[in-house]
Amino acid sequence: MDVLSAPYVLEYTYQRSTGPVIGRFLTALRDGRLEGVRTTTGRVLMPPLEYDPATGEATGEPVPLPPDGVVTTWAWVATPRPGHPLDRPFAWALIRIDGADTAMLHAVDAGAADAMRTGMRVTARWRAERTGSILDLACFVPVAGEAP
Amino acid sequence: MTAANRCAIVGIGQTHHKAKRQDVSIPGLIREAALRALADAELTWKDIDAVVIGKAPDMFEGVMMPELFLADALGAAGKPILRVHTAGSVGGSTAICAAHLIMGGIHRRVLTVAFEKQSESDAMWALSPRIPFQPQLTAGAGGYFAPLVRAYMRRSGAPDDVGLQVAVKDRQHGLKNPYAHLRIKGIDRAMVADSPMLWDPIRYLETCPSSDGACAMVLAAEDAAAAPRPPAWVHGLATRSEPVVFSGRDQVNPQAGRDCARDIYAQAGIHTPSKDLDVAELYVPFSWFEPMWLENLGFAAEGEGWKVTASGATALGGALPINPSGGVLCSNPIGASGMLRFAEAAMQVRDQAGEHQVDGARRAMGHAYGGGSQFFAMWIVGRDRP
Repeated sequence: MDVLSAPYVLEYTYQRSTGPVIGRFLTALRDGRLEGVRTTTGRVLMPPLEYDPATGEATGEPVPLPPDGVVTTWAWVATPRPGHPLDRPFAWALIRIDGADTAMLHAVDAGAADAMRTGMRVTARWRAERTGSILDLACFVPVAGEAP
Repeated sequence: MTAANRCAIVGIGQTHHKAKRQDVSIPGLIREAALRALADAELTWKDIDAVVIGKAPDMFEGVMMPELFLADALGAAGKPILRVHTAGSVGGSTAICAAHLIMGGIHRRVLTVAFEKQSESDAMWALSPRIPFQPQLTAGAGGYFAPLVRAYMRRSGAPDDVGLQVAVKDRQHGLKNPYAHLRIKGIDRAMVADSPMLWDPIRYLETCPSSDGACAMVLAAEDAAAAPRPPAWVHGLATRSEPVVFSGRDQVNPQAGRDCARDIYAQAGIHTPSKDLDVAELYVPFSWFEPMWLENLGFAAEGEGWKVTASGATALGGALPINPSGGVLCSNPIGASGMLRFAEAAMQVRDQAGEHQVDGARRAMGHAYGGGSQFFAMWIVGRDRP
Protein backbone atom coordinates (compact mmCIF):
# COMPACT_ATOMS: atom_id res chain seq x y z
CA MET A 1 0.00 0.00 0.00
CA ASP A 2 1.25 3.51 -0.82
CA VAL A 3 0.61 6.27 1.66
CA LEU A 4 0.26 9.26 -0.64
CA SER A 5 1.33 12.78 0.07
CA ALA A 6 1.30 15.90 -2.07
CA PRO A 7 2.44 19.50 -1.69
CA TYR A 8 -0.18 21.97 -0.50
CA VAL A 9 0.67 25.49 -1.62
CA LEU A 10 -1.34 28.29 -0.09
CA GLU A 11 -0.54 31.72 -1.44
CA TYR A 12 -2.37 35.00 -1.73
CA THR A 13 -1.32 38.62 -2.18
CA TYR A 14 -3.13 40.60 0.49
CA GLN A 15 -3.46 44.39 0.64
CA ARG A 16 -2.59 46.62 3.57
CA SER A 17 -3.42 50.27 4.18
CA THR A 18 -0.96 52.05 6.44
CA GLY A 19 -3.32 54.60 7.98
CA PRO A 20 -2.39 58.26 8.51
CA VAL A 21 0.37 57.89 11.16
CA ILE A 22 2.46 55.05 9.73
CA GLY A 23 1.74 56.36 6.23
CA ARG A 24 3.23 59.71 7.15
CA PHE A 25 6.34 58.06 8.65
CA LEU A 26 6.91 55.99 5.49
CA THR A 27 6.36 59.01 3.26
CA ALA A 28 9.02 60.91 5.25
CA LEU A 29 11.44 57.98 4.80
CA ARG A 30 10.85 58.16 1.06
CA ASP A 31 11.78 61.85 1.24
CA GLY A 32 14.95 61.00 3.22
CA ARG A 33 13.66 62.38 6.54
CA LEU A 34 12.95 60.91 9.97
CA GLU A 35 9.70 61.84 11.63
CA GLY A 36 8.46 60.66 15.02
CA VAL A 37 5.16 61.29 16.74
CA ARG A 38 4.29 62.89 20.10
CA THR A 39 2.00 61.11 22.57
CA THR A 40 -0.55 62.88 24.76
CA THR A 41 1.88 62.54 27.66
CA GLY A 42 4.61 64.33 25.70
CA ARG A 43 6.80 61.36 24.82
CA VAL A 44 8.20 61.19 21.29
CA LEU A 45 7.89 57.73 19.69
CA MET A 46 10.35 56.80 16.94
CA PRO A 47 9.33 54.88 14.95
CA PRO A 48 5.80 56.23 15.39
CA LEU A 49 2.78 54.24 16.56
CA GLU A 50 -0.87 55.10 15.91
CA TYR A 51 -1.78 54.48 19.54
CA ASP A 52 0.22 54.95 22.72
CA PRO A 53 0.61 51.50 24.29
CA ALA A 54 0.97 53.13 27.72
CA THR A 55 -2.39 54.93 27.70
CA GLY A 56 -4.35 53.64 24.72
CA GLU A 57 -4.75 57.22 23.48
CA ALA A 58 -4.20 58.17 19.85
CA THR A 59 -0.80 59.74 19.25
CA GLY A 60 -0.69 63.37 18.17
CA GLU A 61 1.51 65.73 16.20
CA PRO A 62 4.37 64.56 13.99
CA VAL A 63 7.84 65.54 15.21
CA PRO A 64 10.65 66.11 12.66
CA LEU A 65 13.84 64.45 13.91
CA PRO A 66 17.50 64.58 12.84
CA PRO A 67 19.15 61.56 11.21
CA ASP A 68 21.45 61.15 14.24
CA GLY A 69 21.16 59.11 17.40
CA VAL A 70 22.84 56.97 20.01
CA VAL A 71 23.23 53.18 20.22
CA THR A 72 21.52 51.87 23.36
CA THR A 73 22.39 48.19 22.83
CA TRP A 74 23.74 46.03 20.01
CA ALA A 75 24.63 42.52 18.81
CA TRP A 76 27.38 41.75 16.27
CA VAL A 77 26.59 39.70 13.17
CA ALA A 78 29.93 38.19 12.13
CA THR A 79 28.51 36.18 9.23
CA PRO A 80 25.71 37.99 7.38
CA ARG A 81 23.13 35.78 5.72
CA PRO A 82 21.05 36.32 2.57
CA GLY A 83 18.30 38.78 3.39
CA HIS A 84 20.33 40.72 5.92
CA PRO A 85 20.57 44.46 5.18
CA LEU A 86 24.36 44.36 4.66
CA ASP A 87 26.60 41.83 2.90
CA ARG A 88 29.51 42.36 5.34
CA PRO A 89 29.74 41.97 9.13
CA PHE A 90 27.51 44.51 10.90
CA ALA A 91 25.67 45.17 14.17
CA TRP A 92 21.97 44.95 14.88
CA ALA A 93 21.42 47.87 17.22
CA LEU A 94 18.72 49.72 19.08
CA ILE A 95 19.20 53.37 18.16
CA ARG A 96 17.56 56.24 20.03
CA ILE A 97 17.27 59.12 17.59
CA ASP A 98 18.07 62.53 19.11
CA GLY A 99 14.82 64.03 20.43
CA ALA A 100 13.04 60.66 20.70
CA ASP A 101 12.15 58.76 23.87
CA THR A 102 12.14 55.30 22.29
CA ALA A 103 14.75 53.35 20.35
CA MET A 104 14.39 51.73 16.92
CA LEU A 105 16.01 48.59 15.57
CA HIS A 106 18.37 48.98 12.62
CA ALA A 107 21.75 47.91 11.26
CA VAL A 108 25.04 49.70 12.00
CA ASP A 109 27.84 49.43 9.43
CA ALA A 110 30.85 49.74 11.78
CA GLY A 111 33.35 47.48 10.01
CA ALA A 112 34.38 45.48 13.06
CA ALA A 113 32.86 44.50 16.40
CA ASP A 114 35.50 46.44 18.34
CA ALA A 115 34.28 49.61 16.63
CA MET A 116 30.91 49.17 18.40
CA ARG A 117 29.99 50.33 21.88
CA THR A 118 26.82 51.22 23.74
CA GLY A 119 26.48 54.97 23.82
CA MET A 120 28.24 55.57 20.50
CA ARG A 121 26.77 58.15 18.14
CA VAL A 122 25.54 57.10 14.71
CA THR A 123 23.97 58.78 11.72
CA ALA A 124 21.68 57.51 8.96
CA ARG A 125 22.90 56.44 5.56
CA TRP A 126 20.06 56.74 3.05
CA ARG A 127 19.48 54.60 0.02
CA ALA A 128 19.61 56.61 -3.23
CA GLU A 129 16.36 55.06 -4.53
CA ARG A 130 13.65 55.19 -1.90
CA THR A 131 10.18 53.63 -1.96
CA GLY A 132 8.58 54.40 1.42
CA SER A 133 10.02 51.51 3.45
CA ILE A 134 12.16 51.13 6.58
CA LEU A 135 14.83 49.85 4.16
CA ASP A 136 15.02 53.35 2.65
CA LEU A 137 17.40 53.72 5.57
CA ALA A 138 20.28 51.60 4.22
CA CYS A 139 21.82 51.49 7.69
CA PHE A 140 23.41 53.72 10.34
CA VAL A 141 27.12 54.49 10.44
CA PRO A 142 29.38 55.69 13.26
CA VAL A 143 29.78 59.46 13.42
CA ALA A 144 33.32 60.42 12.44
CA GLY A 145 35.61 60.93 15.41
CA GLU A 146 33.68 58.45 17.56
CA ALA A 147 36.45 56.35 19.05
CA PRO A 148 35.40 53.12 20.69
CA MET B 1 -31.92 33.28 33.31
CA THR B 2 -29.87 30.92 35.34
CA ALA B 3 -28.33 32.19 38.55
CA ALA B 4 -25.70 34.40 36.96
CA ASN B 5 -24.93 38.08 37.44
CA ARG B 6 -26.85 40.47 35.21
CA CYS B 7 -25.14 41.95 32.16
CA ALA B 8 -25.96 45.36 30.67
CA ILE B 9 -25.00 46.82 27.30
CA VAL B 10 -23.99 50.41 28.11
CA GLY B 11 -22.14 51.48 24.97
CA ILE B 12 -22.55 50.68 21.27
CA GLY B 13 -20.47 51.87 18.31
CA GLN B 14 -19.92 51.02 14.68
CA THR B 15 -18.16 52.38 11.60
CA HIS B 16 -19.85 53.65 8.49
CA HIS B 17 -19.53 50.45 6.48
CA LYS B 18 -18.03 50.87 3.03
CA ALA B 19 -16.52 48.87 0.18
CA LYS B 20 -13.05 50.33 0.87
CA ARG B 21 -11.65 52.17 3.85
CA GLN B 22 -8.17 52.76 2.50
CA ASP B 23 -7.84 55.91 4.60
CA VAL B 24 -7.36 53.84 7.77
CA SER B 25 -5.27 50.88 8.88
CA ILE B 26 -6.98 47.81 10.34
CA PRO B 27 -6.25 49.12 13.86
CA GLY B 28 -7.65 52.49 12.84
CA LEU B 29 -10.86 50.89 11.57
CA ILE B 30 -11.67 48.97 14.76
CA ARG B 31 -10.61 51.95 16.82
CA GLU B 32 -13.40 54.04 15.24
CA ALA B 33 -16.05 51.58 16.43
CA ALA B 34 -14.45 51.17 19.87
CA LEU B 35 -14.23 54.94 20.45
CA ARG B 36 -17.89 55.34 19.47
CA ALA B 37 -18.89 52.62 21.97
CA LEU B 38 -16.81 54.28 24.71
CA ALA B 39 -18.30 57.69 23.86
CA ASP B 40 -21.82 56.24 23.97
CA ALA B 41 -21.07 54.89 27.46
CA GLU B 42 -19.17 58.07 28.45
CA LEU B 43 -16.21 55.92 29.48
CA THR B 44 -12.51 55.95 28.64
CA TRP B 45 -9.96 53.21 28.02
CA LYS B 46 -9.03 53.29 31.71
CA ASP B 47 -12.53 52.15 32.69
CA ILE B 48 -12.25 48.92 30.69
CA ASP B 49 -11.15 45.73 32.50
CA ALA B 50 -10.75 43.38 29.54
CA VAL B 51 -11.11 43.20 25.76
CA VAL B 52 -12.70 40.37 23.75
CA ILE B 53 -12.11 40.54 20.01
CA GLY B 54 -13.46 38.52 17.09
CA LYS B 55 -12.83 38.33 13.36
CA ALA B 56 -13.61 35.92 10.56
CA PRO B 57 -11.22 33.11 9.54
CA ASP B 58 -7.52 34.02 9.55
CA MET B 59 -7.01 33.41 5.84
CA PHE B 60 -9.53 36.09 4.90
CA GLU B 61 -7.04 38.85 5.72
CA GLY B 62 -3.89 36.93 6.50
CA VAL B 63 -3.92 38.15 10.12
CA MET B 64 -3.28 35.12 12.31
CA MET B 65 -3.15 36.81 15.70
CA PRO B 66 -5.35 39.93 15.71
CA GLU B 67 -5.28 39.97 19.51
CA LEU B 68 -1.50 40.53 19.35
CA PHE B 69 -1.56 42.98 16.46
CA LEU B 70 -4.44 45.07 17.86
CA ALA B 71 -3.80 45.19 21.60
CA ASP B 72 -2.40 48.73 21.64
CA ALA B 73 -5.16 50.10 19.41
CA LEU B 74 -7.69 48.66 21.86
CA GLY B 75 -6.05 50.06 24.98
CA ALA B 76 -5.41 46.51 26.15
CA ALA B 77 -1.83 46.90 27.42
CA GLY B 78 -1.71 45.29 30.86
CA LYS B 79 -5.24 43.91 30.54
CA PRO B 80 -6.66 40.56 29.49
CA ILE B 81 -7.39 40.32 25.75
CA LEU B 82 -9.07 37.25 24.30
CA ARG B 83 -9.80 36.33 20.70
CA VAL B 84 -12.89 34.35 19.64
CA HIS B 85 -13.20 32.42 16.40
CA THR B 86 -16.40 30.82 15.06
CA ALA B 87 -16.47 31.69 11.33
CA GLY B 88 -19.32 34.03 10.30
CA SER B 89 -21.06 33.76 13.66
CA VAL B 90 -17.97 35.13 15.40
CA GLY B 91 -19.36 38.62 16.01
CA GLY B 92 -22.16 37.07 18.03
CA SER B 93 -20.11 34.52 19.92
CA THR B 94 -17.51 37.22 20.70
CA ALA B 95 -20.18 39.34 22.40
CA ILE B 96 -21.38 36.25 24.26
CA CYS B 97 -17.87 35.48 25.58
CA ALA B 98 -17.61 39.09 26.74
CA ALA B 99 -21.02 38.82 28.45
CA HIS B 100 -19.89 35.60 30.15
CA LEU B 101 -16.97 37.49 31.74
CA ILE B 102 -19.51 39.90 33.24
CA MET B 103 -22.09 37.26 34.20
CA GLY B 104 -19.44 35.06 35.78
CA GLY B 105 -18.39 37.95 38.00
CA ILE B 106 -14.86 38.09 36.54
CA HIS B 107 -14.94 41.68 35.23
CA ARG B 108 -17.12 44.76 35.66
CA ARG B 109 -16.65 46.36 32.24
CA VAL B 110 -15.62 44.55 29.08
CA LEU B 111 -15.05 46.03 25.63
CA THR B 112 -16.00 43.65 22.84
CA VAL B 113 -15.02 44.37 19.24
CA ALA B 114 -15.34 42.62 15.89
CA PHE B 115 -14.21 43.66 12.43
CA GLU B 116 -13.43 42.75 8.86
CA LYS B 117 -11.60 44.70 6.19
CA GLN B 118 -12.74 42.84 3.12
CA SER B 119 -11.01 45.28 0.75
CA GLU B 120 -7.65 44.00 2.03
CA SER B 121 -8.63 40.35 1.81
CA ASP B 122 -10.46 37.84 -0.35
CA ALA B 123 -13.09 35.64 1.27
CA MET B 124 -13.78 33.75 -1.96
CA TRP B 125 -10.12 32.74 -2.22
CA ALA B 126 -9.91 31.89 1.48
CA LEU B 127 -12.95 29.61 1.22
CA SER B 128 -11.56 27.79 -1.81
CA PRO B 129 -8.22 26.19 -0.85
CA ARG B 130 -6.93 23.57 -3.26
CA ILE B 131 -6.33 20.83 -0.73
CA PRO B 132 -4.61 17.72 -2.14
CA PHE B 133 -6.84 14.66 -2.60
CA GLN B 134 -10.01 16.69 -2.05
CA PRO B 135 -12.33 18.28 -4.60
CA GLN B 136 -11.85 22.05 -4.64
CA LEU B 137 -14.79 24.23 -3.66
CA THR B 138 -14.42 27.34 -5.82
CA ALA B 139 -17.95 28.61 -5.30
CA GLY B 140 -17.53 30.73 -2.17
CA ALA B 141 -20.36 31.10 0.31
CA GLY B 142 -23.04 31.72 -2.33
CA GLY B 143 -22.24 28.52 -4.15
CA TYR B 144 -22.35 26.62 -0.90
CA PHE B 145 -25.69 28.00 0.23
CA ALA B 146 -27.57 28.11 -3.11
CA PRO B 147 -28.48 24.38 -3.03
CA LEU B 148 -29.83 24.83 0.51
CA VAL B 149 -32.07 27.64 -0.72
CA ARG B 150 -33.24 25.46 -3.61
CA ALA B 151 -33.98 22.63 -1.16
CA TYR B 152 -35.97 25.03 1.02
CA MET B 153 -38.03 26.20 -1.96
CA ARG B 154 -38.80 22.63 -2.96
CA ARG B 155 -39.70 21.52 0.56
CA SER B 156 -41.87 24.49 1.43
CA GLY B 157 -43.44 25.07 -1.97
CA ALA B 158 -42.54 28.75 -1.65
CA PRO B 159 -43.10 30.85 -4.78
CA ASP B 160 -39.97 32.00 -6.59
CA ASP B 161 -40.29 35.67 -5.68
CA VAL B 162 -40.02 35.56 -1.86
CA GLY B 163 -36.29 36.18 -2.08
CA LEU B 164 -36.87 39.29 -4.20
CA GLN B 165 -39.18 40.64 -1.53
CA VAL B 166 -36.57 40.21 1.23
CA ALA B 167 -33.87 41.82 -0.92
CA VAL B 168 -36.05 44.89 -1.50
CA LYS B 169 -37.28 45.12 2.10
CA ASP B 170 -33.83 44.94 3.72
CA ARG B 171 -32.43 47.52 1.26
CA GLN B 172 -35.35 49.83 2.04
CA HIS B 173 -34.50 49.43 5.72
CA GLY B 174 -30.85 50.14 4.93
CA LEU B 175 -31.81 53.50 3.43
CA LYS B 176 -32.90 54.50 6.94
CA ASN B 177 -29.57 53.47 8.50
CA PRO B 178 -26.76 56.05 8.15
CA TYR B 179 -24.12 53.34 8.82
CA ALA B 180 -25.32 50.96 6.07
CA HIS B 181 -22.91 50.21 3.20
CA LEU B 182 -25.43 49.53 0.40
CA ARG B 183 -27.86 52.40 0.00
CA ILE B 184 -29.75 51.70 -3.21
CA LYS B 185 -32.18 54.54 -3.88
CA GLY B 186 -35.35 53.43 -5.64
CA ILE B 187 -34.68 49.74 -4.95
CA ASP B 188 -37.59 47.63 -6.23
CA ARG B 189 -38.46 44.11 -7.30
CA ALA B 190 -37.66 44.71 -10.96
CA MET B 191 -34.18 45.94 -10.09
CA VAL B 192 -33.50 42.80 -8.06
CA ALA B 193 -35.14 40.45 -10.57
CA ASP B 194 -33.11 41.95 -13.43
CA SER B 195 -29.79 41.64 -11.59
CA PRO B 196 -27.51 38.80 -12.79
CA MET B 197 -28.10 35.28 -11.48
CA LEU B 198 -24.92 34.45 -9.52
CA TRP B 199 -25.68 31.08 -7.97
CA ASP B 200 -29.13 29.92 -9.07
CA PRO B 201 -31.55 30.78 -7.40
CA ILE B 202 -29.51 33.61 -5.79
CA ARG B 203 -29.27 36.82 -7.82
CA TYR B 204 -26.64 39.53 -7.43
CA LEU B 205 -29.00 41.84 -5.52
CA GLU B 206 -30.12 38.96 -3.28
CA THR B 207 -26.54 38.75 -2.00
CA CYS B 208 -24.68 40.62 0.74
CA PRO B 209 -21.92 43.08 -0.22
CA SER B 210 -18.24 42.88 0.77
CA SER B 211 -17.66 45.57 3.37
CA ASP B 212 -14.97 47.17 5.49
CA GLY B 213 -16.31 47.81 8.95
CA ALA B 214 -16.25 47.19 12.68
CA CYS B 215 -18.62 47.05 15.62
CA ALA B 216 -17.99 47.43 19.36
CA MET B 217 -19.95 47.26 22.58
CA VAL B 218 -19.20 48.00 26.21
CA LEU B 219 -20.79 45.42 28.51
CA ALA B 220 -21.10 46.11 32.22
CA ALA B 221 -22.02 44.40 35.45
CA GLU B 222 -25.09 45.64 37.27
CA ASP B 223 -23.10 47.81 39.69
CA ALA B 224 -21.34 49.46 36.75
CA ALA B 225 -24.42 49.88 34.56
CA ALA B 226 -25.30 53.41 35.65
CA ALA B 227 -24.88 54.79 32.15
CA PRO B 228 -25.76 58.20 30.74
CA ARG B 229 -28.36 56.45 28.59
CA PRO B 230 -30.55 53.53 29.68
CA PRO B 231 -28.73 50.24 29.09
CA ALA B 232 -30.02 47.16 27.32
CA TRP B 233 -30.09 44.05 29.53
CA VAL B 234 -29.15 40.53 28.47
CA HIS B 235 -32.16 38.26 28.99
CA GLY B 236 -30.73 35.16 27.38
CA LEU B 237 -27.69 34.11 25.36
CA ALA B 238 -26.33 30.88 23.89
CA THR B 239 -24.13 29.34 21.23
CA ARG B 240 -24.45 25.95 19.55
CA SER B 241 -22.49 24.13 16.88
CA GLU B 242 -22.67 20.97 14.80
CA PRO B 243 -20.37 19.30 12.27
CA VAL B 244 -20.57 20.58 8.70
CA VAL B 245 -21.20 17.10 7.32
CA PHE B 246 -22.84 14.07 8.81
CA SER B 247 -25.31 11.54 7.53
CA GLY B 248 -28.86 12.75 7.93
CA ARG B 249 -27.88 16.34 8.68
CA ASP B 250 -30.63 18.86 7.93
CA GLN B 251 -28.66 21.79 6.55
CA VAL B 252 -31.80 23.76 5.65
CA ASN B 253 -33.12 23.70 9.21
CA PRO B 254 -30.10 22.80 11.36
CA GLN B 255 -30.59 21.19 14.75
CA ALA B 256 -27.96 23.45 16.33
CA GLY B 257 -29.96 26.56 15.36
CA ARG B 258 -33.19 25.14 16.76
CA ASP B 259 -31.49 24.11 20.01
CA CYS B 260 -29.77 27.47 20.42
CA ALA B 261 -33.08 29.35 19.98
CA ARG B 262 -34.89 27.05 22.40
CA ASP B 263 -32.16 27.68 24.97
CA ILE B 264 -32.38 31.49 24.85
CA TYR B 265 -36.20 31.43 24.85
CA ALA B 266 -36.13 29.30 28.02
CA GLN B 267 -33.65 31.70 29.66
CA ALA B 268 -35.74 34.74 28.73
CA GLY B 269 -39.13 33.17 29.53
CA ILE B 270 -40.31 33.44 25.94
CA HIS B 271 -43.11 31.09 24.90
CA THR B 272 -44.20 32.48 21.52
CA PRO B 273 -41.24 34.27 19.93
CA SER B 274 -43.34 35.93 17.20
CA LYS B 275 -45.47 37.58 19.90
CA ASP B 276 -43.05 37.94 22.80
CA LEU B 277 -40.28 39.59 20.79
CA ASP B 278 -40.79 43.04 19.25
CA VAL B 279 -38.02 42.87 16.65
CA ALA B 280 -35.23 40.54 15.51
CA GLU B 281 -31.95 41.05 13.67
CA LEU B 282 -31.20 37.81 11.87
CA TYR B 283 -28.05 36.94 9.94
CA VAL B 284 -29.43 36.93 6.38
CA PRO B 285 -26.54 37.12 3.87
CA PHE B 286 -28.72 35.74 1.05
CA SER B 287 -32.34 36.87 0.85
CA TRP B 288 -33.93 33.43 1.19
CA PHE B 289 -32.37 32.92 4.59
CA GLU B 290 -35.03 35.15 6.13
CA PRO B 291 -37.89 32.64 5.70
CA MET B 292 -35.48 29.77 6.42
CA TRP B 293 -34.42 31.27 9.76
CA LEU B 294 -37.99 32.27 10.64
CA GLU B 295 -38.70 28.55 10.71
CA ASN B 296 -35.43 27.47 12.31
CA LEU B 297 -35.94 29.97 15.15
CA GLY B 298 -39.58 29.14 15.76
CA PHE B 299 -41.08 32.41 14.46
CA ALA B 300 -43.05 30.28 11.98
CA ALA B 301 -43.97 26.62 11.69
CA GLU B 302 -41.88 24.51 9.35
CA GLY B 303 -42.84 25.30 5.74
CA GLU B 304 -44.60 28.52 6.76
CA GLY B 305 -41.72 31.00 7.01
CA TRP B 306 -42.13 32.28 3.47
CA LYS B 307 -45.80 33.09 4.17
CA VAL B 308 -44.77 35.38 7.04
CA THR B 309 -42.29 37.15 4.76
CA ALA B 310 -44.79 37.35 1.88
CA SER B 311 -47.41 38.89 4.19
CA GLY B 312 -45.17 41.93 4.73
CA ALA B 313 -45.05 41.28 8.49
CA THR B 314 -41.24 41.41 8.54
CA ALA B 315 -41.00 44.97 7.20
CA LEU B 316 -40.70 47.98 9.50
CA GLY B 317 -44.26 48.75 10.59
CA GLY B 318 -45.22 45.07 10.30
CA ALA B 319 -46.08 42.73 13.16
CA LEU B 320 -42.60 41.20 13.33
CA PRO B 321 -39.94 43.54 11.92
CA ILE B 322 -36.84 41.63 10.83
CA ASN B 323 -33.55 43.43 10.17
CA PRO B 324 -34.60 47.06 10.62
CA SER B 325 -30.90 48.01 10.19
CA GLY B 326 -30.91 46.62 6.66
CA GLY B 327 -29.05 43.57 7.91
CA VAL B 328 -26.20 41.66 6.32
CA LEU B 329 -27.76 42.32 2.89
CA CYS B 330 -26.76 45.99 3.32
CA SER B 331 -23.47 45.72 5.26
CA ASN B 332 -21.16 42.73 5.52
CA PRO B 333 -17.83 43.22 7.25
CA ILE B 334 -17.95 39.46 7.91
CA GLY B 335 -16.28 39.25 11.32
CA ALA B 336 -18.41 42.15 12.56
CA SER B 337 -21.67 41.09 10.89
CA GLY B 338 -22.82 38.96 13.82
CA MET B 339 -21.98 41.64 16.37
CA LEU B 340 -23.86 44.22 14.29
CA ARG B 341 -26.98 42.03 14.66
CA PHE B 342 -26.46 41.85 18.42
CA ALA B 343 -25.77 45.59 18.61
CA GLU B 344 -28.85 46.50 16.56
CA ALA B 345 -31.03 44.42 18.91
CA ALA B 346 -29.58 46.37 21.85
CA MET B 347 -30.00 49.71 20.03
CA GLN B 348 -33.66 48.88 19.44
CA VAL B 349 -34.48 48.27 23.11
CA ARG B 350 -32.47 51.39 24.05
CA ASP B 351 -34.63 53.42 21.64
CA GLN B 352 -31.40 54.41 19.88
CA ALA B 353 -32.08 53.29 16.30
CA GLY B 354 -33.20 56.59 14.81
CA GLU B 355 -35.15 56.27 11.57
CA HIS B 356 -35.10 52.47 11.74
CA GLN B 357 -36.42 52.34 15.29
CA VAL B 358 -39.27 49.89 15.97
CA ASP B 359 -41.69 51.91 18.09
CA GLY B 360 -41.81 50.74 21.68
CA ALA B 361 -39.40 47.82 21.22
CA ARG B 362 -38.92 46.23 24.63
CA ARG B 363 -37.38 42.85 23.75
CA ALA B 364 -35.24 42.05 20.74
CA MET B 365 -33.22 39.15 19.37
CA GLY B 366 -29.78 39.24 17.79
CA HIS B 367 -28.75 36.20 15.73
CA ALA B 368 -25.63 35.08 13.90
CA TYR B 369 -24.63 31.95 12.04
CA GLY B 370 -21.45 30.80 10.40
CA GLY B 371 -19.51 28.05 8.65
CA GLY B 372 -21.76 25.69 6.68
CA SER B 373 -24.83 26.74 8.75
CA GLN B 374 -23.12 25.02 11.68
CA PHE B 375 -22.20 27.70 14.25
CA PHE B 376 -24.98 29.67 15.95
CA ALA B 377 -24.87 32.55 18.43
CA MET B 378 -27.96 34.34 19.72
CA TRP B 379 -29.02 36.70 22.40
CA ILE B 380 -32.19 38.32 23.64
CA VAL B 381 -31.92 41.78 25.11
CA GLY B 382 -34.55 43.86 26.84
CA ARG B 383 -35.32 47.31 28.06
CA ASP B 384 -36.18 45.95 31.51
CA ARG B 385 -33.80 44.43 34.01
CA PRO B 386 -34.37 40.65 33.84
